Amino acid sequence: MARGEGRGERFVPANYQPLLPTDRLVLKEGSEGAGDRMELDVLIVGAGPAGLACAIELAQLAQRDGTEVDIGVLEKAEALGEHSLSGAVVNPRAFRELFPDLKDADFPFRGPVKQERVCLLTGRRAFTLPTPPTMHNAGNYIASLSEIVRWLGERAAALGVNVFTGFPAASLLMDEQRVAGIRTAASGLDRDGRPLANYMAPNDLVAKVTVLAEGTRGALAQAWLDRQGVSSENPQLFALGVKEIWETKRPLDMIVHTLGWPLPADAFGGSFMYPLEPNLVALGLVVGLDYGEAGLDVHELFQRMKLHPLFRGYLEGGEMVEWGAKTIPEGGYYSVPARRSGDGVVILGDSAGLVDVPSLKGIHYAMQSGMFAARAILTSLKSDDTSAARLAEYDRLVNSSFIMKDLYRTRNMRLAFKDGFYVGGLKAAVMTATGGRIPGWKIAMARDADVPRRLTSRLRPGSVTPDGKLTFSKVDGVFKSGNATRDTIPVHLVVGRDVPLTAAEFYARMCPAGVYEVTQGTLRVNAPNCVDCKATDVLGPRWLPREGGSGPKYKRM
Amino acid sequence: MLAVLEQRDGALRKVSHEVVTGARRLADALGGSVDALLLAAGGVKGADQLGRFGADKVITLTNAAFGMYAPEGYARVIAERAATGGYRAVVFAASATGKDLAPRVAARLGCALAQDVTDVGVEAGAVVVTRPVYAGKALLTLKLAGTPALVSLRPNVFTPVERPRAGVVESAAVDGSAGRVVVQRIRAADAGALDVAEAPIVVSGGRGLKEPANFKVLEELAAAFAGRAAVGASRAVVDAGWRPHADQVGQTGKTVSPTLYVAVGISGAIQHLAGMRTSKVIVAINKDKDAPIFKVADYGIVGDLFEVVPKLTEEIKKLHG
Amino acid sequence: MKIAVCIKRVPDSETRVKIAADGKSLDEAGVKFILNPYDEFAVEEALQRKEQAGSGEVVVIALGPAAAQETIRTALAMGADRGTLLQADRIPADGLAAATALAAELKGGGYDLILFGKMAIDDYNHQVGPMVAELLDLPCVTTVAHLEIEGGKGVAEREIEGGLEVVEFPLPAVLTTDKGLNEPRYPALKGIMAAKKKPLDVKPAALGAGRMEVVAMKPPPDRKEGKIVGEGGAAVAELVRLLREEAKVL
Repeated sequence: MARGEGRGERFVPANYQPLLPTDRLVLKEGSEGAGDRMELDVLIVGAGPAGLACAIELAQLAQRDGTEVDIGVLEKAEALGEHSLSGAVVNPRAFRELFPDLKDADFPFRGPVKQERVCLLTGRRAFTLPTPPTMHNAGNYIASLSEIVRWLGERAAALGVNVFTGFPAASLLMDEQRVAGIRTAASGLDRDGRPLANYMAPNDLVAKVTVLAEGTRGALAQAWLDRQGVSSENPQLFALGVKEIWETKRPLDMIVHTLGWPLPADAFGGSFMYPLEPNLVALGLVVGLDYGEAGLDVHELFQRMKLHPLFRGYLEGGEMVEWGAKTIPEGGYYSVPARRSGDGVVILGDSAGLVDVPSLKGIHYAMQSGMFAARAILTSLKSDDTSAARLAEYDRLVNSSFIMKDLYRTRNMRLAFKDGFYVGGLKAAVMTATGGRIPGWKIAMARDADVPRRLTSRLRPGSVTPDGKLTFSKVDGVFKSGNATRDTIPVHLVVGRDVPLTAAEFYARMCPAGVYEVTQGTLRVNAPNCVDCKATDVLGPRWLPREGGSGPKYKRM
Repeated sequence: MLAVLEQRDGALRKVSHEVVTGARRLADALGGSVDALLLAAGGVKGADQLGRFGADKVITLTNAAFGMYAPEGYARVIAERAATGGYRAVVFAASATGKDLAPRVAARLGCALAQDVTDVGVEAGAVVVTRPVYAGKALLTLKLAGTPALVSLRPNVFTPVERPRAGVVESAAVDGSAGRVVVQRIRAADAGALDVAEAPIVVSGGRGLKEPANFKVLEELAAAFAGRAAVGASRAVVDAGWRPHADQVGQTGKTVSPTLYVAVGISGAIQHLAGMRTSKVIVAINKDKDAPIFKVADYGIVGDLFEVVPKLTEEIKKLHG
Repeated sequence: MKIAVCIKRVPDSETRVKIAADGKSLDEAGVKFILNPYDEFAVEEALQRKEQAGSGEVVVIALGPAAAQETIRTALAMGADRGTLLQADRIPADGLAAATALAAELKGGGYDLILFGKMAIDDYNHQVGPMVAELLDLPCVTTVAHLEIEGGKGVAEREIEGGLEVVEFPLPAVLTTDKGLNEPRYPALKGIMAAKKKPLDVKPAALGAGRMEVVAMKPPPDRKEGKIVGEGGAAVAELVRLLREEAKVL
């Protein structure tokens, strides 16, 4: 047993977590193993808001400039939007800048935020709090990220951008220090890695500039930052959000955020509930992955939360139509890598940690970062210089923009909560009142995996037996995520060696999709259940890209 | 009405009773008669019983080439009969043969065909049918114009009903060849075991079985149904390597729609239900009374499957004598 | 070998079915459309046969709305050579009307094989393929799960109740394909790029007159509430009785 562990002592996830498999994530350009090879000017990994905004801005700029730029976007999901998940309440400024000829009414939003409420919950009651200044959403819009991504995708295609769905980038191709491109994942392998009749070899795509827009906990972005030794003042921190969409009998006409119950005092997070339509409600629970108790299960906590009168009142008699999960980078300003550009590469959006937790915003930062990258890339292409020095223009644009200004203002707010809800709440209030000036210094944080967890003797504190009407099992959640990954797919998760029972149980609670189970005293890995939320990569077995089209098929998440 | 029946090796196939029943229902609504039609190489055993189910006449047309299904030959003869006989409707079984034959006849006659229907009726003098679409997620009601209206009936739905009529048996030889498409022979399916997606009865096991060796109790139950049952499995036990993927029932496995589905030691996750929810009758055996499977089952027994299943096997064996 | 494959754009099988305001059709809001899975076997078979023969052409034909062009591009990305869309905003409920339009397009094409998927996963009609064959007076075998072709003749195997039918037929012929015939290939990146440049013409569909009208589309009736017959072995006798007498399945 590792240091500091044992019943009544602490469990440290990092003790059982394998290192990032950079030998698989980073390959030398020209190495064997690829089938086809394609050359592009700009290759964008990830068709999320950042990647697509970059593609659109680049195509628009090139068109205006009379330059031809060959742009390809790779997306691991089978269709656009199927791996996109967010709350979401969107700040429209990036949309307005990217599409100056369109009006707000033309954008893929569901409706403006009319009313909002922030509540502190106890087991039975909800106390309305004054809305914290960081959370005011007047002027913002409620939206589905899946719908936003599909809309952006259509615009990109209309501009001549090649969007390839079902093609995950599995490894970076490097030529010394320069990123030359990526290699896609193979498809059509059986569980033992043997080719099936429809086996398709990986493809190499090489480009002058590779844009990494993989979203939260991007594998290639991590590998590149690691290899290049690029660090940040604090490690990146993550929260896990589990979300559902419901068709409700009772209409909802405001956005709601809650704090408090059912979160234990040593877990940071809260819930959201937004009306996509009066009777189509998106709701979820977000919990920081540095939670104190090893047995905490975010999915289960979320199921319990729905039984609270505040939520139950809307959901009773309705139908859960979608379920999903995703992590969110929460470290803020101090966790953003010192540089997000290099020879032949730039990193956008969530992969670069550009998320503001107190206001729960990331989509417009992602898009804006994509647009800045596009500008820097076009200049570098025209001067035929895609070196780190040239592409550093992207970093300059981001650093001097509202993105970093916003993140700086709230730089310690989330971090304050590492001391628990009440102390944290107090600190946050002070920060808000002083505009972030107190405390001005950085609050140091440990990686989530290094945070020791309490092992309690109680196995499942107040667990809920899913009733199939208001509450659901993980397996049923995965069904509602649209996940129909074939059962015979090779396992894409790298588990540590000799994982003890405590770690196995910890993984089983941590994973919202039921990938990990403890059966007959050992760890079972149900890899096809995985919905690519990346919680496992933060706290447990490492996540690697797998066959294209695997994972969830979100429709309106 | 013209009811197109099926024979194999000179014996009437049971689905033929369903076809006559369906045709009789239409005939009663329209005030007509039912002519049952058989194509064969010679006499067909069981043809004389068809009066019981409502056939006014049973016509056997013989031709040396018609012993086995002859797609073009059959289509030609049936289309001729249908055109000259003044029939208001032609009814087929939506069996493998029927689904192949009915479209050919429809095209020859220039008439519409409703395949795989679960209900037939008459409204304002027109033949109206109901059929499942979108994998059973919706039911379509269709009105057929034109004469004759062609329908094929989903097997195991039109439970044969005794409506005795004369059932006068006629036989005649017909000319003509089998056509360009020739059925050489019928060979047994590989491995002999009944496929989970084809079996009229499926007995499925899940984690409640505890160990792979325990599937023996399900195999014994399946065997008690005398060749009509296959053993299925939930995803959990297939993942654990206890059963082959070909037996997996569920969203990522096979979708089955048997007459009887017995879920043993299966909790009833939605992804499993997605694969068997259109079964005609669902029985669940599980020791957890809150298992979601009981919400979808028509009949359930709460108890230890190791006690219940062997007893069930005994009772089924008794039935089959 | 010159092969035509008729394909259909259908809603994804995971679609949650919502009935449109007209009470007769699927509400298409948010529905994801794909190439009919059974048609994938047909496209793959065509590609394999052409590859084996060393030369030839695979032509893809779809009857459907303008958006079906995307579906044709998927088949082109798999390797088909060119495509034709017979444009019709509404696909008729009457399979014969659809078959008439397809037959008109296929006539005189000189195809060695015309392939269809055995059925579409939306309407489960299982009829357009053999109807087209009759209209073109071509031999036809449906639900082919195994296929061999030599010279101008073919031998196909199809699943029937309790066995496999082995069927001989001459070429040219119409075949409808079943699962298990082959393993459809994933479109390669190069294929997807090339597909954008392959010829795809669009023309209005010459639909036949329909003799079938949709009266209504409804959700399936809720299953009747089930009952727990009893506990343990003691309940077995009663269960069997109910299965015999009430459910009538034994």
